[in-house]
Amino acid sequence: MTSLELRAEITDFLHCEARLADEFRLDEWEALLTDDFHYWVPAGRIQGEPSEQLAYLNDNRTRVATRVRQLKTGKRLSQLPISPMRRVISNIEIDAEGDGEVSVIANFVIYEIAVQSSGELRVWPGQAQYKLRRVDGTLRMCAKWIELVTAGIGQRNLTFLI
Amino acid sequence: MSVDYQQLVQIDRIHSSLLHDPEVFAEEMEEIFVRGWVFVGHESEVKEQGDWVTRQLGNESVIMVRESEESVNVLANRCAHRGTALCWEQRGNSSFFQCTYHNWRFGLDGSVRAIPFPDGYDTSKEEFSLDVAGQVDIHRGFVFANLDGSAGPLADHLGSAGYDLIDRLCDLSPTGEIDLSKGWIAHRVQSNWKLWPESDSDGYHVGFVHASMSDTTDTYYDDVAVGGEAVRSSRAVDHGNGHIELDFRPSYQKQLAWLGVTREQVLSYCDALIERVGSESAEQMLWDGPPHAFLFPNLFLGELVIAIVEPVGPGEMIHRHTSVQFQDVEEKFNQRLLRQTEAAVGPASFITSDDAITAERIQAGVSGTQRSWADRGRGWIDLSRGLDREQVDDMGVRSSDASDETTNRGFWHRYLKTMSGRASA
Repeated sequence: MTSLELRAEITDFLHCEARLADEFRLDEWEALLTDDFHYWVPAGRIQGEPSEQLAYLNDNRTRVATRVRQLKTGKRLSQLPISPMRRVISNIEIDAEGDGEVSVIANFVIYEIAVQSSGELRVWPGQAQYKLRRVDGTLRMCAKWIELVTAGIGQRNLTFLI
Repeated sequence: MSVDYQQLVQIDRIHSSLLHDPEVFAEEMEEIFVRGWVFVGHESEVKEQGDWVTRQLGNESVIMVRESEESVNVLANRCAHRGTALCWEQRGNSSFFQCTYHNWRFGLDGSVRAIPFPDGYDTSKEEFSLDVAGQVDIHRGFVFANLDGSAGPLADHLGSAGYDLIDRLCDLSPTGEIDLSKGWIAHRVQSNWKLWPESDSDGYHVGFVHASMSDTTDTYYDDVAVGGEAVRSSRAVDHGNGHIELDFRPSYQKQLAWLGVTREQVLSYCDALIERVGSESAEQMLWDGPPHAFLFPNLFLGELVIAIVEPVGPGEMIHRHTSVQFQDVEEKFNQRLLRQTEAAVGPASFITSDDAITAERIQAGVSGTQRSWADRGRGWIDLSRGLDREQVDDMGVRSSDASDETTNRGFWHRYLKTMSGRASA
């Protein structure tokens, strides 16, 4: 049973992470990551070995740093201007039984406007699976895996932090 | 008013109404995707008997299925009885296809196998087979189909250049065979499908559209496609018949640049290649790498990525890609190809996501133009860059600086031949 205190801390962390991503506060978002962070958006369900699959996105820590750097160049056409977006997180389930790492699953919906081109409203529903770890007393994110409801049918540009 | 393609496609410009006009789109789906040869998929996707995948060829949903070791069929995904789609999943394995409406059952060759209560029919069962592609032909695992069977042989369509481009890719695999069974990823783009053959083979935009990538990370594209030196040494090539290439071979600064590794990192791969093709050929191939080419109308050979251009509507398309996997290499070698693919191509990639935005911005820019504007000088798209400095070799292959629009013109030249009804293939 997760303590209410831990649950509150984790929920605050997830809400903060979501807000930083929505607002393209890239350095602050990146500061939440551990050195072994793994970021994965498979082209189907979350199952099997990520390294053996072709995914929408499969970033180790080095590549996610590149992703952030690219967004910060000011020349990333697909985020010029950046997408106005907000996400809602719900159905948070916490498994803190592991060896120092906390596993969390949550549902999310992102609403995004493609201001860079057509201006359409894009809706991104899915489940996020997080792994969190305490580093120097503070929660950090060591994995974020995203299972999109739409994973099997293809995507519009996905160049924000999902 | 019928579409006057001769007017709308000139040597040095095209009219932008071709990128959104619904009548043009409808005629393309017939002339190009039904009457012409199109790429369907790869044999490695259907290795076992009964393996099938669904695919979209223009407006037509088809099933590519392995009937036997020798035979891959392309069937209309449409029951011969009342038209119900037979398959919904992207792939599967079946010994037959059964319609869910009245349980009609069809074999892997499309012939009808069972009809419930058959006594109500006077005609013989043979009358009720599925529509099958009129022609299917395969080169090194690449399956092509011509739905209505009227296009003449595949060899006339691909020409020696088309075969050579596919060969240059496959030859790099230690066994000479590649595998495309890691699944396809669909990038949904709000643009006309024809903007992608152009984008995939355009050498002019790389330093601009992809500046954020060049600024962020070391990439071999800096040597072959970005900046004055690169665009002068690499070549934009029109092989004829709409098959076009950005030839990066003259620009690579070292062997294996296209793989982003040193020789020491892939020694066993290099040894296997030498073993099969001999030292001299292998050393050259390790310099040259795989081609960056587009085969008319829908196949992109994007070095170690293969993509299909799928029209959906006049302003909607899918760029569907997968990663090339080599046979008989270490697992980590193929995993490197997967990671390289994810970085380069797709909705969350560092490169083609910016091509998608560019295509969508072109679509937004041209969506209000009218065919009737053509003779009033409005709504034209210029494709004249480098027209006066092209070289033509004795095979008729045109080439120019990589930043020249030779590739774009090559695509549209073939398009005009097909759409104006004068193409033999």
